[in-house]
Amino acid sequence: MLNMEILVDNFFGILTVVPQTVALAITIFILSILIGTGMALVQEYNVPVLKQVVMLFKLFLRGTPLIVFIFIMYYSLPSIIGYFTELMNLDYNASNISPVVILIVAVSLTVSSFQAETIRGSFLSVSYGQIEAARSLGYTPFQAFKRIVTPQALVEALPEFGSAFLVVMKAISLGFMITVVDIFAEARLIAASNSYYVEAFVVAALMYWGVAALVVKLTGKYESYLVSRT
Amino acid sequence: MITPSTWEIVSLLLDVAHITFIILLASAVLGLLLGAVLTMINVKNIPVLKQITVVISSFTRSVPIIIQLFIVYYALPPLLGNFGINVTSMSATVAAILALTLYHGGYLTEVLRAAYKAVEKGQHEAADSLGYTPTKKFFRIILPQTVPVALPGWGNALIHLIHDTSLVFALGVADIMGRAELIAASSFGMNQVQVFLIVAAIYIAVTFLSDGMVRLFEKKTQKFKLDSGLKAKRVA
Repeated sequence: MLNMEILVDNFFGILTVVPQTVALAITIFILSILIGTGMALVQEYNVPVLKQVVMLFKLFLRGTPLIVFIFIMYYSLPSIIGYFTELMNLDYNASNISPVVILIVAVSLTVSSFQAETIRGSFLSVSYGQIEAARSLGYTPFQAFKRIVTPQALVEALPEFGSAFLVVMKAISLGFMITVVDIFAEARLIAASNSYYVEAFVVAALMYWGVAALVVKLTGKYESYLVSRT
Repeated sequence: MITPSTWEIVSLLLDVAHITFIILLASAVLGLLLGAVLTMINVKNIPVLKQITVVISSFTRSVPIIIQLFIVYYALPPLLGNFGINVTSMSATVAAILALTLYHGGYLTEVLRAAYKAVEKGQHEAADSLGYTPTKKFFRIILPQTVPVALPGWGNALIHLIHDTSLVFALGVADIMGRAELIAASSFGMNQVQVFLIVAAIYIAVTFLSDGMVRLFEKKTQKFKLDSGLKAKRVA
């Protein structure tokens, strides 16, 4: 049924792109947390115009499939950037922008709108008394945020972050549509070269499964470590 | 081909919308059934079958849907061929429906299991002590209380499913996305952004329809919710 030799071959072939995929996923993940935190703060502090922008953006992303958003970005981002570079008289040819950058932008924007909800929820779960106590002990607002609120919010957000990372991992697999090479794209390339489709996809699936199991295990460990400290 | 106007693009896309909807509806219904069966196996603790459901739901949730689509499309015909079932002529649409059903079912197991577990043990005991048969107990006591808890999760699962139907064109199904690519390619890439913005608008409309439907169900089933937890019961 499955050709064992091909399976082993494919395994090592695809293994070479795993670090690349994970690195890409980590980049997008960190970016999405940053953007998500920005969105959450905008919503929490009721910043006038930005709040409406964030709301519209979230509505748009809730309804639009990721692949459609990636295509929109792929076709429109170069000209958008080109418009701005021309406005500022920069000598930069935006049409050479790498598809990896486009994928990073598209996926991190999409995931950030989900991250915003997680982050908002976890910050809200820290009771206001904690901040008051910190302030009364002479912490500056920033210190209170960094030392008191964030560690507690992190415990709350961690399981969600773990699954968000996996969502990012899975989302990158759509990069093959815009010529970004990750685990899935590599599997497709290998399959096309030796026409053992099933083997390549099974190996790719097992790799994703393995990464997912690892991430779940690690977040579980880190979570219990954080819980033991608070 | 001359660049088509916005309305022409809309009508071209809506021409093939029924394929997307058939895939969506079929996998939503079948997925719900599969999810229900898997949940039943899981909560009834049937030995070997339970481990299989755990594997299925773990697999469908940690592997990208695009790989699941390709695996079903390429691996199912030879796999079934081993058992003497000839499905070599399985169309891409059928493969897409099967893959999405598996995905949706695996996802829903988690939702349904949590909802089932949310029904208090006392409810089971009370029904038992009043002499309900197991079937009667399930349909009259447990199910009505499970539904309102499961609805928000089901709504989210539906939205994921709607988003994921946009990927079936990778198998060669001529759905909305497939047609969109054709339109974008035939006008020498002049109106790609416009075409995909229209596709996005169609998907947004479908998502909001499904959101509205789930909200309607939530309203209708709210009376089954008992006043446990944080929220006191709203008087109907």
